[in-house]
Amino acid sequence: MEITVTVNGVERTADVEPRMLLVHLLREELGLTGTHIGCDTSGCGACTVLLDGTPVKSCTMFGVQADGRSLTTVEGLASGAELHPVQAAFKEEHGLQCGFCTPGMMLVGAALLEDNPMPTEDDVRVAISGNICRCTGYMNIVKAIQAAARARAGTAEPLVAEPAAPEPVTA
Amino acid sequence: MATETEPIRGIGHSVRRVEDDRFIRGAGNYVDDIKLPGMLHMAILRSPYAHAKINGIDASRAQALPGVVAVVTGELMAQHNLAWMPTMSYDTQAVLATDKVRFQGQEVAAVVAESAYVAKDALELIDVDYEALEPIVTPQRALESDAPVIRTDKEDKTDNHIYDWESGDKEATERAFAEADKVVSLDTFYPRCHPSPLETCGCVADVNPATGQATIYMTSQAPHAIRTVFALVAGLPEEKIRIVSPDIGGGFGNKVPVYPGYVVATAASLLLGRPVKWIEDRTENLISTGFARDFHMHGELALKADGTMTGLRVSLLADEGAFHADAQPSKFKVGLFGIVSGSYDLPAAHVTATGAYTNKAPGGVAYRCSFRVTEASYLIERLVQNAAYELGVDPADLRKKNFIPKTGSRTSRPPASCTTRATTRPRWTWRSRRSATPSSGASRRRHARRASCTGSGSRRSPRSSAPARTTSTTSSGWR
Repeated sequence: MEITVTVNGVERTADVEPRMLLVHLLREELGLTGTHIGCDTSGCGACTVLLDGTPVKSCTMFGVQADGRSLTTVEGLASGAELHPVQAAFKEEHGLQCGFCTPGMMLVGAALLEDNPMPTEDDVRVAISGNICRCTGYMNIVKAIQAAARARAGTAEPLVAEPAAPEPVTA
Repeated sequence: MATETEPIRGIGHSVRRVEDDRFIRGAGNYVDDIKLPGMLHMAILRSPYAHAKINGIDASRAQALPGVVAVVTGELMAQHNLAWMPTMSYDTQAVLATDKVRFQGQEVAAVVAESAYVAKDALELIDVDYEALEPIVTPQRALESDAPVIRTDKEDKTDNHIYDWESGDKEATERAFAEADKVVSLDTFYPRCHPSPLETCGCVADVNPATGQATIYMTSQAPHAIRTVFALVAGLPEEKIRIVSPDIGGGFGNKVPVYPGYVVATAASLLLGRPVKWIEDRTENLISTGFARDFHMHGELALKADGTMTGLRVSLLADEGAFHADAQPSKFKVGLFGIVSGSYDLPAAHVTATGAYTNKAPGGVAYRCSFRVTEASYLIERLVQNAAYELGVDPADLRKKNFIPKTGSRTSRPPASCTTRATTRPRWTWRSRRSATPSSGASRRRHARRASCTGSGSRRSPRSSAPARTTSTTSSGWR
């Protein structure tokens, strides 16, 4: 059946089987492979996208359920060359390693900041509790989302602090 | 060669990662992101039984489903001499089962179709006639004389025993135990666990039948080793095979082995002349790919009355699953010996290991570079902790008393400084087991975090102030 969705601000039309999962609509039909599949059972959050601004797990939703609605994927976070504050913060705070969970984490973080512009550490941890990272642990992911909050509020100390040079090691 | 004025950059300096730019924009290139022209999709039918004879497979209904291009069975693979493949531990592993299934989740057949949805649909149309056999799920049962033989494929195999291995000085160790004032022993089990990278395993196999050139895009941590195994399996020269590891969504050891899905997808691509993609789902990843640990361990420590350690004896029973596929067969056991005997000044040590087949998935991967370090650290530190309880002394003191001294010949840095640092933390206390008052789980975790230090680096790390792989968990009664 034919559906129309607004994806990252652009209206897209697709002819899909009713059983096609939203994540497959995005990845296979619309070519947006930034949304990943980790568990196909809603457990890991790698497939998280924003549906009308709210995080949803696209592996447990049918594409047809998104008909007429608006989706944001990781590809839609940046404005051209300008990164979303959450993206910039993930890079600066080393909030990622393999990058597989990163789109979902960043979208959850971006949605959180819309609702709660200055979240506490606990707020962030609750927000990302449906997303699993297997590489870095969560410390830097939490730090990154909080750093993004400060950057958006304009109260940030510079995100990038040059590390103090250690004592030179000489041979 | 650095001069006196030339600082070495790298260690101690933050380095900007070059890959982050594409990852944060959703522009990574993981294996499931790869689409080749004419690409087909493969799905694998897996055994619902841990141990069963296969009396027959009828794939005709699956074959008739529109969109299905081919159904691959073990019989078809056998016609091309591809039903079995070598493992990294000099054993063989079934690619697709022909005679019987040996673990739940084992690969039985594969469907290649125009879409991934159709391939999965067709799996439900394959009829397999199984005859259930007794499943063997512990290595203890596997080694009993009346246990059914799992590897009936091996000629003359009459039991489920795989190997016996030993290291150390048996006689000196026996002498130490005969002369000991105190012997402390421990039986423990380090259960099977799974590395579970967030991205599951999978590949896109692209074989050109005209040139025989095979390009396989694969989420692999070991593309070179895999190329070698592929060359052996297919009987091709290595230069005909190209393994491409694109961005990898985590591995942790899980993406070192060769899995049957890779071989079947490659064979299907060769036979059909089209690229074939196979991406496993999470359940498949958990039930069939490389596990870690699964060691039943017995340890004994010989001590003098004053707490001086005089000998260590360890025996292990390893559950290897249905096919012996340890990712690095020699290093694992040797690594274990080095670690169990590596922290303490032990005059004598002897370690034995026995491996057995069971009806479980094969594997034996490192899981985060633990070449049996985790198992060994767990065993020796539990043993030392128990020894402290039985002697009624502070576990940290017992450790410090027995660590290899700074002047010792076997290691360049003693681990004592780590323990000293931990025990001089303000919150550190040690209470004897009897007087220990139960505390809440949360405060216990906080405390344990403060008072433990674990390293997992190499045995000799001359520049490291934190000594390798020493765990000093303090506060007793928390076992």
